[in-house]
Amino acid sequence: MEFDFSSYPGIFVHTLGFWWVILPAIILGIIVGAIPGFSAANTIIILLPLTLAMGEEIGLIFMTALYASSRMGAGLPAILVNIPGTAGAAATPLDGYPMTQQGKAPQALAISFVSSCIGGLLTTVLVLFIMPYVAQVIYYIHSVELVIIMLFGISLIASIAARDTLKGLIAGFFGLMIGTIGADHIYATPRGTMGFLELYDGVPLIPALVGLFAISEAFLVVERKSILTDAGAKLMKDSSWAEVFEGVNETLKRWWHVTWTSLIGLVIGVVPGAGAAIASFVAYQQSRTFSKTPELYGTGHIEGLIAPESANNGVTAGTLVPLLIIGIPGGATAAIMLVVMQYHGMTVGPDLFIQQPKLAFGVFTTMAVAYVFMTFLALPMARYTSRITTVSTVYIAPLIISFTLVGAFVPRAYVFDIFLALAFGVIGYVARKTGYHVAAILIGIVLGRLMEFRLLVALKSAEGDLMVLFSSTIGNILWAMLVFSLVLPYFLEWKRNRAAANETADAPEA
Amino acid sequence: MAADNNESPEKKQSIGADLIIPICAVVFTLYYISTILDSPWTAKVTAYLIGSVLIGLCFLLFVRSGYAVRRGRADLSFKSLIEPVEALPRRLALFGLTLAYIVFLPIVGFTLTTFVFLSAGMLLLSRGEGRRFKFILAGCLSVGWFALLVVGFKRRFPLGWVDEQLKVGISDLYGFLEGLFSASGGV
Repeated sequence: MEFDFSSYPGIFVHTLGFWWVILPAIILGIIVGAIPGFSAANTIIILLPLTLAMGEEIGLIFMTALYASSRMGAGLPAILVNIPGTAGAAATPLDGYPMTQQGKAPQALAISFVSSCIGGLLTTVLVLFIMPYVAQVIYYIHSVELVIIMLFGISLIASIAARDTLKGLIAGFFGLMIGTIGADHIYATPRGTMGFLELYDGVPLIPALVGLFAISEAFLVVERKSILTDAGAKLMKDSSWAEVFEGVNETLKRWWHVTWTSLIGLVIGVVPGAGAAIASFVAYQQSRTFSKTPELYGTGHIEGLIAPESANNGVTAGTLVPLLIIGIPGGATAAIMLVVMQYHGMTVGPDLFIQQPKLAFGVFTTMAVAYVFMTFLALPMARYTSRITTVSTVYIAPLIISFTLVGAFVPRAYVFDIFLALAFGVIGYVARKTGYHVAAILIGIVLGRLMEFRLLVALKSAEGDLMVLFSSTIGNILWAMLVFSLVLPYFLEWKRNRAAANETADAPEA
Repeated sequence: MAADNNESPEKKQSIGADLIIPICAVVFTLYYISTILDSPWTAKVTAYLIGSVLIGLCFLLFVRSGYAVRRGRADLSFKSLIEPVEALPRRLALFGLTLAYIVFLPIVGFTLTTFVFLSAGMLLLSRGEGRRFKFILAGCLSVGWFALLVVGFKRRFPLGWVDEQLKVGISDLYGFLEGLFSASGGV
């Protein structure tokens, strides 16, 4: 497939002419990304009559801009009230929320938005040039490799909950067990459903996310008058534009960190099914592993916030690569976009780039334009939305509960899902109070069903032989990387401790 | 043992609540496995793999906890779960209110239940201060939510009498504005 790179500036200018579609889509995307239950995928489904009526080019531009901006929106509640808007932002509160509690919400939001915009823009521009090569990745990833990639995601649980690895692993495997609830993939045998028909399709993700993060948080914040610490409240009272620009500056200073973590997102995004949740945790873990100050992660560390935000925006461009080049959507939103494209009679694949280059490349130039627009929208948002943190918990707690329970109801319209969210809220509350990481449980739930499906496909192809998991070269390299990533943090810590011990021994006695 | 006995009870870690999640995990895993005993291997394989690892990990935690209790470093109290004790009544009341909200939502309808929940929740946490403001805020938010979700996004929420009236009212308002816009020469 040959690409004419010289046509890109023309397509970029052409896309800029659609600012009147891109701007409302960005605003809508940020709003729906910030509300748990209203993902970009849901919103595109809701607005399907509109996008189908818009015409192919405008419809595609609208969907792409909405998709890109929803990723950024999901980080907003994650940082301000410890509630990720989507599972892809589940790693964002690890360092974003502690910053908010310290009264650094404007900085945290600015860091999140700028790293989202730079990460997204960078990967989008990169994709325009390396698309044919990146798309090749998909031909080498089969079920065996996908299982290992998912195990890789789960292995991060131990790293996330580094204060007590055993509790982290229990939380992750408990999540995996919950994730496999429902009818089995081949014979539809109901498993662990407790007799609830609503669980036959598996545990719905949004009620789990809402319960584990939001409801448990609401029960926790009633202990305090404000989500801010006393010092944080003072800082927030005196906050100004200077804090926002400080956040921008801190992110720009770490441009290399933004770059490599967004590239992790891009590569993982190309793999169908892996998604933003894995990408953000992988980026977080890698960022911590190679950091000089890993002990600061989880306490409001800037790099701990940059990593997941750059990565989950890198995923956005990645998921569209297999969709446009070989017609395999990399995620739920990409799948819905495929439906709209097929409705308009567009045939995805290499032909699309030859017959309708403005449309095919336009997807990525739209994304680039959207990220540029978002940069300007983001700064006032960081300044003013951070004020939410000064609101008393008297208002915050009931609002979180009502707002998010409604979000739990939205995707399937079952009252059962609201009860489920409350049940997960209780689990989340107990988990948080006793040191089990709720993000580990959530990652387990996200991956449980996906992993089971891929494992079954792999085992079926090998007539039930478990050794199939060690049968491919790429798979074995991935296994080695998995083991390496688990061992490396302990090795680096040991090395640091040894260096510290040597320094103490060498220091002259006073 | 003497040294252990000399340790003050304040220094002991409270780990009783730490066992809740692993106990739930073990009970759930055993229940899960009981539902697949007669199933084909494809329905069992993942659960057996994950379940056995999970039970193994929980067993390790039980052993570790038992050892800490035996050495006098920890006790099996539930302090970590309920502290701070002064917030417990508020937390339990909020939980009860949330449960009532979910139970009454399909019966009474979206707007009224949300209004009652929000106002009662805010009054509960503020010990009844500033009632007027909280009622107005709860009213605006519940009607705003209804307009956005049910009228705007056309989501299917349980509707009661209040919701039906609101729906008619919002539709009338929309019709009136549309008429006004047409009369003033708009599209």
